Amino acid sequence: MFNYTFHWNQALKALPQMLDGALVTLKIALLSMAIGLAFALLLTLFRLSGSRILSGFARTWIEIARNTPALFQIYMAHFGLGSFGIHLSPFTALLAGIAFNNAGYLAENFRGALKAIPDTQTRAGRSLGMSAIQAFRLIVLPQMLRVAFLPITNQMVWAILMTSLGVTVGMNTDLAGVTQELNARSFRTFEFFAIAAVIYYAIAKVVTLAARLIAWRMFRY
Amino acid sequence: MKTKVLALAALTTALAGPALADKLDDIISSGTLRCAVVLDFPPMGSRDANNTPVGFDVDYCNDLAAALGVTAEIVETPFPERIPALMSGRVDVGVASTSDTLERAKTVGMSVPYFAFEMAVTSNDKAGITSFEGMKGKTVGATAGTFEAIALEKQVKEWGEGEFRPYQTQADVFLALSQGQIDATVSTSTVAQANVKTGNFPGISVVGKAPFDTDYVALFTNREEYGLINYLNLFVNQQVRTGRYAELYEKWVGGDLPDLTVSGVYR
Repeated sequence: MFNYTFHWNQALKALPQMLDGALVTLKIALLSMAIGLAFALLLTLFRLSGSRILSGFARTWIEIARNTPALFQIYMAHFGLGSFGIHLSPFTALLAGIAFNNAGYLAENFRGALKAIPDTQTRAGRSLGMSAIQAFRLIVLPQMLRVAFLPITNQMVWAILMTSLGVTVGMNTDLAGVTQELNARSFRTFEFFAIAAVIYYAIAKVVTLAARLIAWRMFRY
Repeated sequence: MKTKVLALAALTTALAGPALADKLDDIISSGTLRCAVVLDFPPMGSRDANNTPVGFDVDYCNDLAAALGVTAEIVETPFPERIPALMSGRVDVGVASTSDTLERAKTVGMSVPYFAFEMAVTSNDKAGITSFEGMKGKTVGATAGTFEAIALEKQVKEWGEGEFRPYQTQADVFLALSQGQIDATVSTSTVAQANVKTGNFPGISVVGKAPFDTDYVALFTNREEYGLINYLNLFVNQQVRTGRYAELYEKWVGGDLPDLTVSGVYR
């Protein structure tokens, strides 16, 4: 039933344009991870703070971020806030949506990582004369980041793939946006989508391999 | 002996019939015509209060099915998914307000034009845009993959200022426009009027014509299905000849009937 002749040479002409789009994709993913990590750490601290308001805030954020689709979060950042007169550009809305999602998931990763570190270590630190903050910063945090490192790279890959949802809020410079536009112009759907899939795959693969290399260098006992 | 064998071979071939039925045969023998229609594009295609597909394109598909003596099946396809739907065999024909660009004709087979659009500028009342030129330097948007989106993006690049944003559906464009996320849009005048009239998108109005070429739209099917394309061409011609085109235009759009021919050249 599949009746289609591939025109690869035509599609490959657009490769430079698509690679430019891939750079934008990578940029959004990296930025969203940086912002997400900062907020995740903050949420983790909120949870540990013992304050009911702060931990309630953190819990609500994590619940929404993890239990609603990323598409919905990005759509709300653009059209939801838009109906209140707050106008985020497609780039900002996409970044905000993914960063929000990242923060929720990463905070959960951090929580799991914290559980892997025995309480006795903190107590040992305290008995050596460290303050509570010192014990957290010098003993718990480095170990927590080590345990959470691979889940963090996992989230990074997920962030790269989530950038493709930007087309729903009018994003046209990232890889998915560029692909969609090339497709609309020429109708060579399968060529452009296949190339885009290969590029997404390559980016994700490079990120995981790089992360493994870093983990191998940094976390040797 | 030899002649007997040959005669037998000839007889078998004749009985077996032609080995290849084309798409036109397939449609007639299956009894169903599956049309790709965009239902996010009033008055060409939309859903009524009972969620039933209605619109010019829907009626056009039904007419085509009636002419073929089969039943019509409307397959909803958003603009970017028209071609994948055809290529993957989910639909037979696109009755989906598809502009007949040369670039696209490399991929699908287009009939002669069955409808023609003029382009209108719709703006947010707060943006202070009163004409097409007023959009220079502003944030504008349109439905990704449409004739007007391609033309508008090119125009924004030519102006060298302002920003262009493609949205996935026509409804998203008008939502963004109504919220003030974009200052203006170019869409087909029929769609602009239909959307302003619904009252779902407050604070927007149609402010003028866009000086783009007339957007002729065609029916499409697989590029190599000459039999079917030939039938579609005759069907479009008959729709105009019998006055059905004018009737449908009056029913869904109203006003001056657009001419489907270009003077000075054959199609």
